[in-house]
Amino acid sequence: MNRQPNQRDANRVEQALACPLTRRRFLQGLLATGALAALPGGLLLAQNLLSEEGFGPTFFQGKDAYQTFRNACPRNCYDTCSIVSYVKDGVLQFIEGAPESTFTNGGLCVKGYAYPRRVYSPDRIKYPMRQVGRGSGNWERISWDEALNTIADKILEIKELDGSLLGMALTKYSGNFGITHYGVEGMMSSLGYTTRFVGTPCWPAGIDAQNYDMGNMWCNDPEDMVNSKYIIIWGANPAYCSVHSMKFITEAQRRGAKVVVIDPVFTQTAAKADEYWEVKTSGDGALAMGMARYLLDNNLVDRDWISNNSVGFAEYEAYIKENVTLEWAAEESGIPVEVFTAVAHEFATADPATIWIGYGMQRHVNGGNNVRAIDALVAMTGNVGKVGGGARYGHLYTWGFNYHAMVQSPPEGSVGFVGETGPMGEFASEAETTEASYSDRAVNINKIGQVILDTNDPPIRMLWAANKNVLSQDFDRNKIEKAFEKLEMVVVVDQFFTQTAELADIVLPTTTLFEDWTVNASYWHYWLSINEQAIQPMFEAKSDIEIASALSSVLNSKQPGSCTFPENIDPKEWMEKEFNAGIYELFGIDSWEDLKDGPRKALSGTTAWNDGAFSTPSTKYEFKSELAAEHGHFDVPKFLPGRDAYAPYRLLTPHDKYSIHSQFQNVDWMGDLNPEPYLYINPQLAKEKGLADYDTVRIFNQVGEMQIKVKLTKNVPADALLMYENWYGKKNDYNVNILVDDTSSDMGAYKTGSPGVALHDQFADIEKV
Amino acid sequence: MAKQLGFLVDASLCIGCSTCAMACKNQYHQEVGVVWRQLYPLSEELYPHRERAFYSLACNHCENPCCMEDCPVGAFSKRDDGIVVHDTDVCIGCGNCVRSCPFGAPRYNEQTRKAEKCSMCYQRIDEGLLPACVQSCPTGALQMIDLATYDDPDAVQYPPGFPVRPEINPSIRFKLPKQPKVVRRKI
Repeated sequence: MNRQPNQRDANRVEQALACPLTRRRFLQGLLATGALAALPGGLLLAQNLLSEEGFGPTFFQGKDAYQTFRNACPRNCYDTCSIVSYVKDGVLQFIEGAPESTFTNGGLCVKGYAYPRRVYSPDRIKYPMRQVGRGSGNWERISWDEALNTIADKILEIKELDGSLLGMALTKYSGNFGITHYGVEGMMSSLGYTTRFVGTPCWPAGIDAQNYDMGNMWCNDPEDMVNSKYIIIWGANPAYCSVHSMKFITEAQRRGAKVVVIDPVFTQTAAKADEYWEVKTSGDGALAMGMARYLLDNNLVDRDWISNNSVGFAEYEAYIKENVTLEWAAEESGIPVEVFTAVAHEFATADPATIWIGYGMQRHVNGGNNVRAIDALVAMTGNVGKVGGGARYGHLYTWGFNYHAMVQSPPEGSVGFVGETGPMGEFASEAETTEASYSDRAVNINKIGQVILDTNDPPIRMLWAANKNVLSQDFDRNKIEKAFEKLEMVVVVDQFFTQTAELADIVLPTTTLFEDWTVNASYWHYWLSINEQAIQPMFEAKSDIEIASALSSVLNSKQPGSCTFPENIDPKEWMEKEFNAGIYELFGIDSWEDLKDGPRKALSGTTAWNDGAFSTPSTKYEFKSELAAEHGHFDVPKFLPGRDAYAPYRLLTPHDKYSIHSQFQNVDWMGDLNPEPYLYINPQLAKEKGLADYDTVRIFNQVGEMQIKVKLTKNVPADALLMYENWYGKKNDYNVNILVDDTSSDMGAYKTGSPGVALHDQFADIEKV
Repeated sequence: MAKQLGFLVDASLCIGCSTCAMACKNQYHQEVGVVWRQLYPLSEELYPHRERAFYSLACNHCENPCCMEDCPVGAFSKRDDGIVVHDTDVCIGCGNCVRSCPFGAPRYNEQTRKAEKCSMCYQRIDEGLLPACVQSCPTGALQMIDLATYDDPDAVQYPPGFPVRPEINPSIRFKLPKQPKVVRRKI
């Protein structure tokens, strides 16, 4: 058996007692390592215990021994934790959750607590570096001056050659959601009209669905789930992805609520539920419609709420009655009639009842449509707009910042793209700030490989990647690698030598959250946090806006007026510039400085649609949406089949608990807890394939292939394969997107500029190696 | 009974998130490869779903610690509140404690060539704070208890799979994990 280091320790507990032989073997192990021959303690102190940055073994020295700072975790995560950082002698010693936040309650998560090591990781990019021969690993240190001159020369060359800067493209997403990091988009705008990869790989189909139904994506405060009498968690796994939400769910259970988890996988959240359903992947819409049919047949819909607050219910009712039977829904979803009708009955008669709609369940070719069917279930039972109720998906209610860093003007005379729309994003649209007849060239963020290959006149010559690890996180890695060959220059701004940095010409080191100022809001809870600079930037790292400002200086020295980004900026002042009266009023503060005393929670908006005034064209909940129809979708939620299988087994690549996408698992402390990746398969499938635990398999499909060890578990259905998306650092080339193609989901283009990606509509086969 | 601080591990609330284990590293910066607190997934004989139920374990600060008994140089001491403290300045790295502890609490640090283990964050406790791991737990599954007063009929000292060692009397109590009703597809 191939054991992980921590399993070895784990087994020691039982083995030490149960088996004297094991004790002896362990003793031999100690002898082998020289442990038993060690010199008396106190005489030996290994050199590497304290790094040159002053980071090494420590213990709690009393709160008075530290300076404290307010920080906020800026990762793409529901929890967006407010942090208190403890600094001694200029070194970040440890961090805690801010005690003021009732959402995080003084805690962080396994990822957050790894931050001190992340800041002082020996693997950080320390200086600007140039790779001689992309992918060669032949890196040489260069100065900021040389790096920016090289980049500036390329920018001016492109402008000269093409007559515009459309040959320069930006891909950026969720590496850091601090508001000033939208200064990367600002930097691009300050250069002229460029090509922008727009959209989001995360949640766009569901965003559009909620916009069609309710006119916006808006969810209740997760803390109010304690009031729910019935909670369905549908395609979300908060035990991995929102650990601080779990206590509100278990508190609701303690108060008598029933919790049902619907997921293709028996997740950690499922293990905490009262009832778990192993739904057929992407069969969620059919299941929701089956439940709706039962409610209609048994007069369990809230006719008062429907008539007062909605339009189009008659059409939806007619569709369901004509097209949906209980038996059909059972067949499509895999959940027996008696099971889902019983829960439908309980859900409709509990008050309030809520559904948490996960992002995983909308990453399908029918994902947006399925979200609409689930929204409808919540609405027809009168649960929208109630404390403890709601179709919970996400919100941007607390994101009304100025986006000062983002809004920059192109240099005079800039030439751009003449098209219908400029770029958009889910958090803020730049389109409305662009008044010129030119715009940026917007391309689909979820098809970066294809876009680079297909885009001409002018081609994308130069790519700026910031807050994004393209080669790990974008889809169809092999295609992207091929597409990169077409690029003349790749600049990557990051903290680590990611798989994207490996294919860069120039990497620029950037600051961690502790080395910068910004402000952070959540798309789930309602707390607002300031992020103070707690330590000096490490090595030669610069923040995104400092990089923009430095690039502007170099460009303007070469060609005056070629960049409008301010050349002298103060990151703290730029953080201040993001605030406005609306933010102050929402959070009941007089100044951003009030946030130095701790995070604040919004005073309103925490019960979505509480006043019944929806943001749809009709101002009602729209079971029938003309807008959806205009956009080429069904007007009412209807059954849309899932993607046809292109290989024998469903491939699922969800989030791990040890990482946010490609962040954190690469930090060596995390390796102590989770040393290597596995492919998880059902014992039934293992038997068919002649596989045992820790055997190595080849997993392959039409997109690509890789080799990996298997773990056998009934948590995964026998017709599926599961691998957690992750980046294990530069020594491990594990990457699930070798096996995931860039097929679009059904919705997303309306609010985010590009459709989402059907990253769970993937299939593969395996064979023993 | 005299004061004896210990840990309550409520596996019905634990989500196996390892936050506690990392909160410990956040506080102490143990060398890579050394962890004082660790999540132990229950075997499928004990809980039928693999890696879905856990016991978070560190030092159990036993009433009669065998580490202390077996240490040839007196590197261990027991405080009035029952916390067992290991002093690395005194430790000679002989490994006796690593071998004698049935719970795998003392760990050998190959860099310092000494043992080290969970101190229950006594420095934090002395300032009225919770141990870093307990403070960090997002679900309340890991708690600090005083066994002199703790009395919960639902808690057990020796759940299945955990070594039964009444003579050293580990200061830990457990609540067992629960199972949901499971509805599978026919495949």
